[in-house]
Amino acid sequence: MLGQKFQTSVRNIFFFFFFFFFFFFFASDAAEGFKVRLSIKTALGDNAYEWNRNQRFLFQAAIAFAMSHHLDLEFNVSNILVCDETPRVSFWFVVTSPDDPSRLVGKESVELAVRASRSRINNILLLNDATLEFIGVLPTLAAPVKPATPSWLIVFGVVIGIIGAGIVFLLVSTVVQKKRYVADCGLVPIVAIKSDNLSLILFGLHSSKENEVAEEEDDDEEAQMKRMAGNEGICNTSFSECDRNTQM
Amino acid sequence: MAKDARDNWESPTQFVLACVSYAVGLGNVWRFPYLCQMHGGGGFLIPYLLMLLLEGVPLFYLELAIGQKMRLGSIGAWTAISPYLGGIGLASVVTSMYLCLYYNIINAWSFWYLFHSFQSVLPWAACPVNSNRTGPMEECEKASPTQYFFYRETLNISPSIEKNGGIQTGQALCFLLAWVITYLFIIRGVKSTGKVVYFTATFPYVVLFIYLIRGMTLHGALNGVKYMFTPKMEELANPTTWINAATQIFFSLGLGFGSLIAFASYNQYHNNFERQAIIVSLINSGTSIFASIVTFAIYGFKATINYENCLDRTRILLLNSFNLAEDSITINNVFEMIEKLNTTFPEQFAELSNKLEDCSLENELSTAVEGAGLAFIVYSEAIKNMPLSQLWSVLYFFMLLMLGMGSMLGNITAITTPLRDFKFLSHVSNEIVKNIRNRIFLQSKYFGKSFCVMLVVFKGLLPKLICTNTTFFYNIAGALQAKIK
Repeated sequence: MLGQKFQTSVRNIFFFFFFFFFFFFFASDAAEGFKVRLSIKTALGDNAYEWNRNQRFLFQAAIAFAMSHHLDLEFNVSNILVCDETPRVSFWFVVTSPDDPSRLVGKESVELAVRASRSRINNILLLNDATLEFIGVLPTLAAPVKPATPSWLIVFGVVIGIIGAGIVFLLVSTVVQKKRYVADCGLVPIVAIKSDNLSLILFGLHSSKENEVAEEEDDDEEAQMKRMAGNEGICNTSFSECDRNTQM
Repeated sequence: MAKDARDNWESPTQFVLACVSYAVGLGNVWRFPYLCQMHGGGGFLIPYLLMLLLEGVPLFYLELAIGQKMRLGSIGAWTAISPYLGGIGLASVVTSMYLCLYYNIINAWSFWYLFHSFQSVLPWAACPVNSNRTGPMEECEKASPTQYFFYRETLNISPSIEKNGGIQTGQALCFLLAWVITYLFIIRGVKSTGKVVYFTATFPYVVLFIYLIRGMTLHGALNGVKYMFTPKMEELANPTTWINAATQIFFSLGLGFGSLIAFASYNQYHNNFERQAIIVSLINSGTSIFASIVTFAIYGFKATINYENCLDRTRILLLNSFNLAEDSITINNVFEMIEKLNTTFPEQFAELSNKLEDCSLENELSTAVEGAGLAFIVYSEAIKNMPLSQLWSVLYFFMLLMLGMGSMLGNITAITTPLRDFKFLSHVSNEIVKNIRNRIFLQSKYFGKSFCVMLVVFKGLLPKLICTNTTFFYNIAGALQAKIK
């Protein structure tokens, strides 16, 4: 029994040195490994946890979960090897195959596995894409939310509807006022004589000569006008807009 | 005595507010702060106020006098002074037409930004994600999100002025809206304009005041205000300073475009325009200075934020390259750490030198921007960093809109008034005239930003000629005035 333990520990030491030298030669090359960088204090501020053996264990477990989930094989924590830790909290890791611990899993599979479960890994370590960086692995960002109608179009529609209604209202009220003026006074402006500082608008009875040239000023400019003597229209002077000012 | 059948302002207040609304426009917000910064901060006020006294108030007074006494638009008024000067009036109408063509495009941009402010995340706050969803769009990353939103999503700018990029439907719709609103404001002539100016003249001040409070409480705002008010007196020796001061007064008050003549022509004959001219000129200059305080507070905030972001990026670069613990470098000791690391690890540090940015608050503050770049890029960048940015964004772009619309009213009135004076056109109903004219102007949606810039630069040439003629005839007008009185 002791011999067996001795054998396993020798084998473990052998593998340890194997991978140690493996990393020593290939760490900067990063043939199959990924560099990870954590910014725990940036992410959590006062609630930041200390990076220690247990946190590292949690990280290894998370990666093992991601690999198992992606490749549908049973990965163990011992298959995730972490080394070269720095005070920054950055390190390298490689993944060994569960069937054959001397073989490393390809970089592409690891990348795909990490990308697939990225948000899960982030949540396990209470970090996010910016504070848990896998150097070389591109994040998958959330798809932009595209509403059926762009929101700006809705606001635009409301505004132009109100303005359009306002214009229609003003135009209609102009026409209505003119009609009311004609109906009230029985008068139709026939001729307006304009000189530099003087303007006369002569009114006549509403005649059938529709093609009479009628010079119209702005409809609510009844302030200055001279009324013809022969006015036979029924003008309720208290309410109509026919003749507001007294002519001297 | 029968009175002229001409429209009148319902009260002198309406006239003053109309002039204020016309004079206080986008130039007060985006041109004056730039000039202040370029020409030595507080020292620029000296040539500015001097020019106001020598050039601004007299010309303003002159235009109001011509309009009020002649009671005609610019063409009629100038022809009445002397038949040979009718061309000035015509030139000013044509200039106002050019102005109308491009000015409403800026209003269209304001509408676009205003409508896009009603979202939970402002669209210019972050770069959109690229098609692979692996990161932000490349174009946006090279520039900044605000620049990307303005040049790509708003304008969809083409590579050069020769290339026609086609009509952008969003912009075309906003442009249509801008013209429809302008039509609504002038549909009844002075009667409708007179009511509208109560709002367009006063609302920008409300927003500016709110922004003053908000701006002053921002982190780093005082850096900007201090920078603005430290005068660099040596700039006064530079003749460009004086030229720019004169030009700014001229354009800010809107002299020579015929709008003031048009507005004044609707006055009562014995209106006291002398006092009103001084009041409006002082209000206009006061607003410029007020707006530049706000702008510099915003500048200071933006510069401080950018500076601190630069320091943070440097800090992270150092942390990552030298694998130091996170809390060993803070924003405050970045520079000391750079020194220390340079001495302890010189070769490694040398590798970094090309990636290391040069962070300087002075540099950030001295990046002066004017025009649409300031209003739509720099300001929106500052707004996105404020808490509750949607509210500030809506307020700001609504203010820009009011400023722009107020000036548009003046420009349009400068065109409609002389046209109305022509006897053959007074047959046709005013609404129809305005309608037709609006349809013609709507065709200007084919103009893009490059044209806008070009027109801004060159529109000034014609009124400058008008100015010289005006001053020459100042005495004649004065004599006329005495005669009329």
